[in-house]
Amino acid sequence: MLFPTIDFALFFAVVFPITWLLNGYNTWKKCFLVAASYFFYAFWRLDFTLLLFASSLGNYLMALALGRLKDGAARRTLFWAAIAGNLGLLGYFKYYNFFVASFVNALEAIGFKVEIGFIEVALPIAISFVTFHALSYIIDVYRGVLKPTTSLLDILFYISFFPHLIAGPIVRANKFLAQTVGPRDPANIRLGQSIFLILGGLFKKVIIANYLSTNFVDDIFRDPAANSSLDLIFGMYGYSLLIYCDFSAYTDIAIGVANLLGYEFPQNFNYPYRAISVQDFWRRWHMSLSSWLRDYLYIPLGGSRFGTLATFRNIMITMMLGGLWHGASWNFLLWGGLHGAALVIERAFGQTGQADAVRRSPAATALRWFVTFQFVSVAWVFFRASSTDTWLAYFSTLFSGANWSTSITPFVAVIFVLGALSHIIPPRWFETWEARYDRASLPVKILVPFVVIFLISVAAPNGIAPFIYFQF
Amino acid sequence: MLKTNPPDLAPPSPPQPLRTSAFVVYATLALLALTIPQSLVGWLQDKNSSELQEIMLKGANVLQRVSQQTGIAIPYQRARDFFLAATGKTDD
Repeated sequence: MLFPTIDFALFFAVVFPITWLLNGYNTWKKCFLVAASYFFYAFWRLDFTLLLFASSLGNYLMALALGRLKDGAARRTLFWAAIAGNLGLLGYFKYYNFFVASFVNALEAIGFKVEIGFIEVALPIAISFVTFHALSYIIDVYRGVLKPTTSLLDILFYISFFPHLIAGPIVRANKFLAQTVGPRDPANIRLGQSIFLILGGLFKKVIIANYLSTNFVDDIFRDPAANSSLDLIFGMYGYSLLIYCDFSAYTDIAIGVANLLGYEFPQNFNYPYRAISVQDFWRRWHMSLSSWLRDYLYIPLGGSRFGTLATFRNIMITMMLGGLWHGASWNFLLWGGLHGAALVIERAFGQTGQADAVRRSPAATALRWFVTFQFVSVAWVFFRASSTDTWLAYFSTLFSGANWSTSITPFVAVIFVLGALSHIIPPRWFETWEARYDRASLPVKILVPFVVIFLISVAAPNGIAPFIYFQF
Repeated sequence: MLKTNPPDLAPPSPPQPLRTSAFVVYATLALLALTIPQSLVGWLQDKNSSELQEIMLKGANVLQRVSQQTGIAIPYQRARDFFLAATGKTDD
């Protein structure tokens, strides 16, 4: 079920009142929300709800056992078994065919011919997000940060809660489970903020991301060699805007919807293309994933505690695995590796942005922003390219500089400008509008979302493409 | 488009946030159904045939007729036609 659809509007229209009617009966409310979330997931494919349930049940039991065992070999073994179980599930569905194909190709390259069977199974939607939620719970229990819950219902609820289920944000177990213990206070609903997040998300997805994708970017990446150098440059920037608008739209709507139901999700984006270093970019882009990778991978690997070389190695491992988390492809690995290399270079030269920015001149800051944005945009080409041939063709055509005409229409140019506004409008404007909305009369409160959605519908393309991050 | 931590920015809540939220959600959906009834009809036509679907489709058709006869559906149609003409796009 996609957020910007009538299906979801009706689904939410049913879920919203029942959730609050059951608020005084917390167990029943959680049962209802789990059922609603499984229904939401089953809209895509019914049989994989069993996988969702099995993963939740397995992690619930493992965590209970971890909580009962004292520190020692048995506890460590069980912990690694739980990690292996989660990663094994992810690996089987997502990476098995990729590694088999890579292995077979590598052997063929040195003259051996082997035959290993591929599995023919659909990739369960959101399996990467489900796995990272489950791992967050298991690791926190193992570390003693979180007591394992005795309620299977709480774990089913945590892993399947529909606003974050498909594409995040990745909500930490300790933050979410704390919200499941009792009824939610309706006073925590921030209507203005939720409405603006939902409306902004709809606009970014339905108008900017959809039109950029179908009217320009998809054509550019389908056959890069058939385009001019100028169009390839615009295609790169276009995809930068597209993936931001697409992904941040999903998490903005998810945060807004969860808040209307009384639950808090973490912030996931903070003007990422305003970053003045790659490290700064990762503090602003998919923040729930980057903090997850930092806390559950980079720091356990040793972080920056064991000298310069070990730090660089840990950065590279973290970023490459973070890249591979997005999908089973060498391009994702390369994308992660490029970001890792950039982070290593920044660290080597002490250029990590943020804190030292205040001491720099505006021109130096502007230059750092420019370089960072160019790097991030170039790296997105590897992320978006469907194969190695695609990005090779992309860059060879781009740098050939043979043709500087453009196929950008005035309509696409307007969409570019609207996409850029998502980073140009200062955050305080949104805060002011939200505050005004919260003070407005009820008719105005109703008119604002109605008019905005009406106008989005007027300009909407026919059919909504799935969110890019659904595939991860 | 997100800001800093949500709790830091939380504006004062309206006195009855739940009731207000419910009004906003349902009134918005009702207004959209009334002003753009054809999307509801199209959505229902795409659903698998069942007794419930047929009942809902009949209801949506009635809504569409009322909306057209009273002129409520006109602003959307005009705005959509204007958008398509201005951008050279089609509804196909």
